[in-house]
Amino acid sequence: MKKMLSGLLAGTMLFSLTACQSGGEDSGEKKDTLQVALCMSGPANDQGWNQSAYEGAKAACDKYGYELSYSENLGAADIAAAFADYAIAGYDVIIGHGFEFGDPALEVAETYPDVKFICTEASASAENVASYVMACEQTAYVEGIIAASMSESGKLGAIGPIQGDSLVKIINGYAEGAKSVSADIEVQTAWTNSYVDTQLAQEAANAMIESGVDVIKHCANACGNGAINAAVAANIWCQGDSYDQSSLAPENILDSALYNLDVVLDIALGTVADGTFKGDVYNLGMAEGAVEVLLSDNLPQEVVDKAQAAVDAIKSGELKIVPNFTVE
Amino acid sequence: MLDEIFTLSFLTVFLAAAVRLAIPLMYGGLGELIAERAGILNIGMEGVMLSGAFFSFAGAWYFHSTAMGLLCGMLGGLVVSLVHGVLTIRLAKDQSVSGLALNMLMLGVTSFLFKLMSDGQTYQQVDTMPEIAFPVLSKIPVIGEAFFQRDLLSYLLYVLILASVLFFRFTNCGLNLIAVGEYPRAAESAGVPVHRYQWAAMVCNGVLGGIGGAYLVLVQLGVFTENMISGRGYIALAAVILGRYTPVGVFGSALLFGVANALQIRLQTIGVSISPYLLAMLPYVVTLLAMLGAAGKNSQPESMGKPYIRGVR
Repeated sequence: MKKMLSGLLAGTMLFSLTACQSGGEDSGEKKDTLQVALCMSGPANDQGWNQSAYEGAKAACDKYGYELSYSENLGAADIAAAFADYAIAGYDVIIGHGFEFGDPALEVAETYPDVKFICTEASASAENVASYVMACEQTAYVEGIIAASMSESGKLGAIGPIQGDSLVKIINGYAEGAKSVSADIEVQTAWTNSYVDTQLAQEAANAMIESGVDVIKHCANACGNGAINAAVAANIWCQGDSYDQSSLAPENILDSALYNLDVVLDIALGTVADGTFKGDVYNLGMAEGAVEVLLSDNLPQEVVDKAQAAVDAIKSGELKIVPNFTVE
Repeated sequence: MLDEIFTLSFLTVFLAAAVRLAIPLMYGGLGELIAERAGILNIGMEGVMLSGAFFSFAGAWYFHSTAMGLLCGMLGGLVVSLVHGVLTIRLAKDQSVSGLALNMLMLGVTSFLFKLMSDGQTYQQVDTMPEIAFPVLSKIPVIGEAFFQRDLLSYLLYVLILASVLFFRFTNCGLNLIAVGEYPRAAESAGVPVHRYQWAAMVCNGVLGGIGGAYLVLVQLGVFTENMISGRGYIALAAVILGRYTPVGVFGSALLFGVANALQIRLQTIGVSISPYLLAMLPYVVTLLAMLGAAGKNSQPESMGKPYIRGVR
């Protein structure tokens, strides 16, 4: 019994060790086609952050005729090693998907100047490191306009998970957009300090609702479901994030902010294809199609027009939303 | 700003939120209390609750019934506790290692199954249990709404707390269970079947922990999200220690956690300019302070965490 158990355990450990190596066809041989490696912090089929990157990278590679390999489930400590492995194996472009890939990219890029590094949502830039950031503050600004136009109490609530730069700029952009409609609107904020504590997000929304808030915006990933749930229970408006969340609250949703990673990766790999790759931090927004606001049918026409006007102004560059990372 | 806090209506909704946040902890804590009283430390309470949450969601989704959801949640929790029982009672393995392993295992298992279940689907939701106002009692100002305008599972919890107080104090079974946790060898020599008591305790542990997780899904949220217990199982462990291994103590300390958590999230929304990181520490600071207050008084069962093997000296 015990031997069987330990044998089984050893087997699964071996399996998991080999499983996290790579899922791609990285034979190491140098071929004529350009070789791209995608490094991710989670599984490639997570129906979210990583899957959208994998699909985006795959589509872009097909388009430009590159060959794609990928590594999944990389912990923070493994990133630099994975980057170096791919660089040694002769890969031409290495993509790190997420803020945490920025610093390791800088570190490894110095040793391998011929390899191009692309990071998403990071702030790293060097000769051969380019970072692409999605301008989520633009969608948040438009959402703020929508919320302020729909609110009757003049009180809005915004719930975020952890105070990272990319989330703080959403909450600040939202408040800025709301204030552009009416200067004395009140935006209450709360942070759950967790991406997964769904009940706490619900309680944060409840607390806001009890003090008179009648529109709730969240950017809290999965735990934001709790916030939407509270809004539905109290029958007030809510605004979704990352995906079309209208099916969670068909009667109560105003809009969802969408972040299109496939567009981002297409643009990033496109610079490699046409030779315009240059190390820098790029902000991709509505004009590039990297972010968008999906309006629901619950919005009256005049609010739709107002939101559309703001979107057009942002796209044309007439209206510039400056990302604000300061926590109030 | 302070006048916003000290109004009757604020206190009423605040306490209601505190109780909502505390009930899963009370279930988990009560289940853990019974196990620890029988000498089995189950650090895997987080995994038990997570399993309860997931399987209650899956049950309610596939059978379109809250009752089936609750049953599946109880079974989901039970299975995890029984695995812990096999490892720690039957095979007399290290209880901490087994508990920790179960937590990590269940995080993986529930996330994996949830992926399978939600693959290609839009957001899945199940119905939540309705509130039932208790006649008369729910009219008491402040505490009436918080404690007596709740759902069936909350009322069941009050009954269970009361029953366990009576059980530990006035029944032979209860005293035997305590004896098993304090000094199993003596209990065995007095004719108490130690392992049978420990197994029974693990059943309670799993079922109660499972309900604790199911409460989040079936009463509060109607949705499952990955790792949604997010540390509540560990807080339940702390509630047992803080509650000095008594049912009423667990109830009170779980409520204290609820109060601290409800307070920190409310302070944020009314714009208190303290970093949310500091505010999020509040529940844990309260724990540490309360444990300091209880320093020197050790009420832990004497044989907790030590495997009992029959006939071995």
